[in-house]
Amino acid sequence: MNLAALVTSLRCSLLRIESRLLQAAGLDPHLAPALAVSGPSFLPQLRPQEEQEQPSALQDSIMWMAAPKKRRTIEVNRTRRRADSNLLKVKTNIEPCLECGHLKQKHVLCGVCYAKVCKETGRIRQQIQAMEGGPLRAPTVESMVLYEGETPNQQDKDKRIVERARKRPAWFSY
Amino acid sequence: MATAMTGRGFCLVRSLSGMFHSSLQALGGSSPQQLSCLHTSAALESKHWEKRNLKLYAPQLPEEPRRPAEIHHSRRQIKYSKDKMWYLAKMIQGMSIDEAISQLEFNDKKGARIMKEILLEAQEMAVNHHNVEYRSNLYVAESFSSKGRYLKRIRYHGKGMFGIMDKVYCHYFVKLVEGSPPKTEEKTSFDQAKEYVQSLKNRTIIHSL
Repeated sequence: MNLAALVTSLRCSLLRIESRLLQAAGLDPHLAPALAVSGPSFLPQLRPQEEQEQPSALQDSIMWMAAPKKRRTIEVNRTRRRADSNLLKVKTNIEPCLECGHLKQKHVLCGVCYAKVCKETGRIRQQIQAMEGGPLRAPTVESMVLYEGETPNQQDKDKRIVERARKRPAWFSY
Repeated sequence: MATAMTGRGFCLVRSLSGMFHSSLQALGGSSPQQLSCLHTSAALESKHWEKRNLKLYAPQLPEEPRRPAEIHHSRRQIKYSKDKMWYLAKMIQGMSIDEAISQLEFNDKKGARIMKEILLEAQEMAVNHHNVEYRSNLYVAESFSSKGRYLKRIRYHGKGMFGIMDKVYCHYFVKLVEGSPPKTEEKTSFDQAKEYVQSLKNRTIIHSL
C-alpha cells in the first residue's frame, strides 16, 4: 500500500515538474491560444449594439466629404487667377480684308463683306417671294438674277428671270 | 417645421442681423469726428477720372518738349463682372489703340464689345476735343476695371434656406496718350531672379558699429 501511494505521488510530482518545464520552455499545449493581456482581467465584451454610424449618411456627410481646411488668402487667389495660363492670349492672325479694308481673321470670311452679300441675297429672296406669291410655287427651272439694263445670255434663255431694280453690284459677277 | 431654421440658415440670419446691427450702431452712435470716415453717397458718386480731362496746364515755352495729349475716358455701371473685365483690361495695357481695337473685335467675351465701344468713343473725343492730330497716334497708357454698385437679390435654396445674390456691375477706365506706345523690355525669368538676388545682396545694416 505505501509503495502504491508513493508511486502515485511520485507520478503526480513528475507530471507537475514536466508541465512546469514545458511552461518554462514555452511549449505547453495548455497556453496555446492565450491572450497576453496586462490590464483589466476581464475581456472586452462584444457590445450588443454596433458603434453608432452617421444617421442616414446623406444628411451629415462630415466624415467623408472633402472640405477646405483654411480660407484661401487673397494673395494665393490672385496668383492663381493671374497666372499666365489664365490670362488672355493676344491673337496674331488678324489682317485687313483686301476687298473692303475692314479687319478679318485669316481663316474666316470678312464679316462686313459677308453681311453685304447677305443683305443683297435677302432682297433677291424678297423679289422671288413677290414673284411667286405664296409658298410651294417654285418653278421647276433654274433662276437667274438680272439687274438694270441687262439682257439674258444665249445659255440663260430657259431660266426664270428674277429682276432687281438696281445696277449690278461690283462683287456680283456674271 | 420646428427645425425650419437649420444650422446654416441660422448662421445666415445671424450674420445678416450682425450687419444690420453694426450699420445701425454706426449711424446712431457716431460722433462728428467719426462721421468723416464714413462712406457718404457723395463719395460714391464722385467722378474723379472724368475731372482729370478738365486739368489745364500753363502754355508751353517754345524750347520745351511737346507734352503729349492725355485723354481720360470711362464708363460706369457696366453689366459685367469686374474680375472678368480685368482680363481684357490687362490684355490691352500698353497697346496702340488700333491694335487694342483689333484684339477686342475678335475676342469672344461680352466685355470685349463694350470695351471696343469705349475705346472708339475715347478716340473720337481725342480727335474732336483734345487736339489730337492723328487718331491712330494714340496708345493705351492705363486701363483698369473696378467694382460698380451691385443690386442684391434673393437666391432660393432648398429647405427654406436662401442666399443673397449679387447682380454685378463694373466701371471701366481708360487713359489714352498721344504718341507711339513705349517699348517695354521683356525681362526673362532668369534676369528677374538675378535682380532679386542682387537686391538681397545690397542690403546693409544701418546705424551699426
